[in-house]
Amino acid sequence: MSRQTESIMDKVWNIFSSMKTGLVLLGVIAVVSGIGTLIPQEALDPGGAKSVNSLWKMLGFTHLYSTSWFRLILGLLSINLLVCSIQRFNGIYRKTFKPQPPQSASSIPSKIQTRISGNDKKLREAVSEVLKHKGYQLKINEQEGRWSFIAQKHKWGNWGSLITHIAFIVLVVGALVGSMTGFKGFFMAGEGETLPIQQIKVSKGNVAENFYVKINSAEDRVLANGERDNWYTDLSILESGQEVARQTISVNHPFSYQGVTFYQSSFAQGGKFTVNVNGQKVPFILQNKGGNYFQAPGTDLYFILAAVKADPKAPIVLYQVYQGNSSQPLAMGQMNLGEVNKINDTVSLTFDGLSSFTGLQVKKDPGVNLVWLGCALLMIGLVLSFYWRPHTISGILEMQEESYLHMGAIRGKLAVGTQEEFNQIVADIKKRLASDSVRS
Amino acid sequence: MNVTLNNIEVMMFYIMVAAYFLSAAISWLTLVVKKEWLEHLATGMAFIGLVGNTVAIVVRTIISQRPPLSNGYEFILTFCWGIVAIYLFAQLRYKVRNLANFVMPIPFLLLVFIIMTMGPDERVAAAIPPALKSYWLTFHVLTAMLSYGAFAISFGLGLMYLIKAKKEEKFGVESVDKGWTSRFPASQVLDELSYKIIGFAFPMLTLCIITGAIWANYAWGTYWSWDPKETWSLITWIIYAAYLHARLMYGWKGKRAAWLGVIGFIAVLFTFFGVNYFLPGLHSYA
Ligand code: HEM
Repeated sequence: MSRQTESIMDKVWNIFSSMKTGLVLLGVIAVVSGIGTLIPQEALDPGGAKSVNSLWKMLGFTHLYSTSWFRLILGLLSINLLVCSIQRFNGIYRKTFKPQPPQSASSIPSKIQTRISGNDKKLREAVSEVLKHKGYQLKINEQEGRWSFIAQKHKWGNWGSLITHIAFIVLVVGALVGSMTGFKGFFMAGEGETLPIQQIKVSKGNVAENFYVKINSAEDRVLANGERDNWYTDLSILESGQEVARQTISVNHPFSYQGVTFYQSSFAQGGKFTVNVNGQKVPFILQNKGGNYFQAPGTDLYFILAAVKADPKAPIVLYQVYQGNSSQPLAMGQMNLGEVNKINDTVSLTFDGLSSFTGLQVKKDPGVNLVWLGCALLMIGLVLSFYWRPHTISGILEMQEESYLHMGAIRGKLAVGTQEEFNQIVADIKKRLASDSVRS
Repeated sequence: MNVTLNNIEVMMFYIMVAAYFLSAAISWLTLVVKKEWLEHLATGMAFIGLVGNTVAIVVRTIISQRPPLSNGYEFILTFCWGIVAIYLFAQLRYKVRNLANFVMPIPFLLLVFIIMTMGPDERVAAAIPPALKSYWLTFHVLTAMLSYGAFAISFGLGLMYLIKAKKEEKFGVESVDKGWTSRFPASQVLDELSYKIIGFAFPMLTLCIITGAIWANYAWGTYWSWDPKETWSLITWIIYAAYLHARLMYGWKGKRAAWLGVIGFIAVLFTFFGVNYFLPGLHSYA
């Protein structure tokens, strides 16, 4: 019984430690991801996603990248990579830190190999000097009648693929943490407005924080040549009425407070108004093109800003007034700066000047640091793999009347390149031996 | 002054078209007329084209006062630059005969694509939205240029490998090739060089994707949104990762790996063109 379970465990382990499994999973991910670019996705094209055949919808093909089965494949790949890494760890560790000089000529790499004969002392000296000069670290073993060595260059390169694989796991974990915790939302607010972070429109997750955000000012800055420079928002964070942080943000220059990050994402014009209801004056702001509305206190009148001519010197606004649920405006009109319009006997409206509205993305992603860690590890791993290739040369010297050195190089992944490097080393050793014999 | 600069840019563009065409055409001629001076002429033409390409990019940078990386036209100019620069480097360093046959038509066809599909108003140096003003973006496009350029070379090497390996299979590796492929390096050399170049390009592509993610995170607060362009760059990345592993796997080394290298570059082209022309997406900048 126990033997049988063991063998099932073994089988599972073998499947997960196989590179073939990994390649199949990678292939599946590639194909499935590709399919996802052909079917409209809810996140990118909600309208298109609605019209997709319902069977596809049920299987999650319209939100493919967040389905549990897509995550399952990524999870399987991560397990695959983990098993693979555990299995390879010891070997790489030994190769890097416990290199063993060869015990016999048979353990010298055979594909790239040479034999050099000569005086044993001079041979030893020449080999050591040339290899050290080429940047190799030597480990030497001396026994009666036999001198052997193993020499390594760029030995950290051995860790490249393992680090790359671990990095991928870290990336997947980071992405998963981000998708299961945190939140993502958006709000649009005018200059001078203060709103609780709890009130933003959330498209994913829940907001646990409860500070306030105040928009001190918003600006659409234009360069001298007429091109847009950027949108700027000066915002403050308030905790129980006290300002605890203040920052000006713009597109590509976000700001974070307690893990919540604010991104400038859009901008709209607006106007500042005052409504006068029976002598009681209330200031308010409206966003252009009906982006929001204002209900005059104590009435069922709603104000909307239909259009703005944002000339700083002579701004003009077009407003509309709705009553109750009516879809037809009760009144509409155009106003210049400072102008007052009577809406009815008790209510009048004043246009006080231009205002700006700023649209901010708000996001909390506790996984993002893991993602950046994964990216950093990925780059370190890849640089070690490809720009820091390890070289290993080993040799054995049998000391006899006429000593000869058996030397070979591990071919690695670049047979031609390794052979060239090896030939160069052999040539250098021979040159050295020749010049030694001339001197002596 | 801008008028003069514009004229220079247009002139350089046509120098590129002519030089890249001649380089490719002469290379094909050398298959029949096996003269060494013709090979040098083809390399020289690629070099002249690269000079024109460099001037065009510099002039565009001066005109627009920013890195020339923000529309399809500008990106193709840098893409061509990447291909030809890396081709010339590989050519001078490794002396792979006939590589130009398979590589130089690519920048030429890219330029033809510009001529056929882009009107003058699509080529002008236009104002860019605030989201595109980022050093990360510059880095993103620079790494794209280097990796895509290098993948074009490995594509050419992969095709040469498939052709040469077939001949070697038929006549034996040791036999003397007297046909039109006689000057191709041995298949093993082609395979290894291709691996070396992908080994250079794969980390670059990874860095390209990472810098893109960093930029997106600064601009929109989302490092990855699975838009078609991102997804296809990930697919490209997976294909090249598969290539790297295929070389280590019994039975996959050689032909199948070479095919993966060829398919990888097709995925690169699809990421760049196909996504813009066939698939809807957010990635509207280039
Ligand atoms: C996201 C997926 C993966 C990436 C980005 C990746 C990346 C890499 C890289 C860059 C190398 C070095 C290749 C070279 O030096 O030519 C490598 C090697 C290797 N990978 Fe992966 N890999 C992935 C998945 C896997 C999987 C799923 C397995 C198997 C379970 C695997 C097993 C191996 C093995 C055994 C090596 C050989 C290392 C050596 O011989 O030095 N990889 N991988």
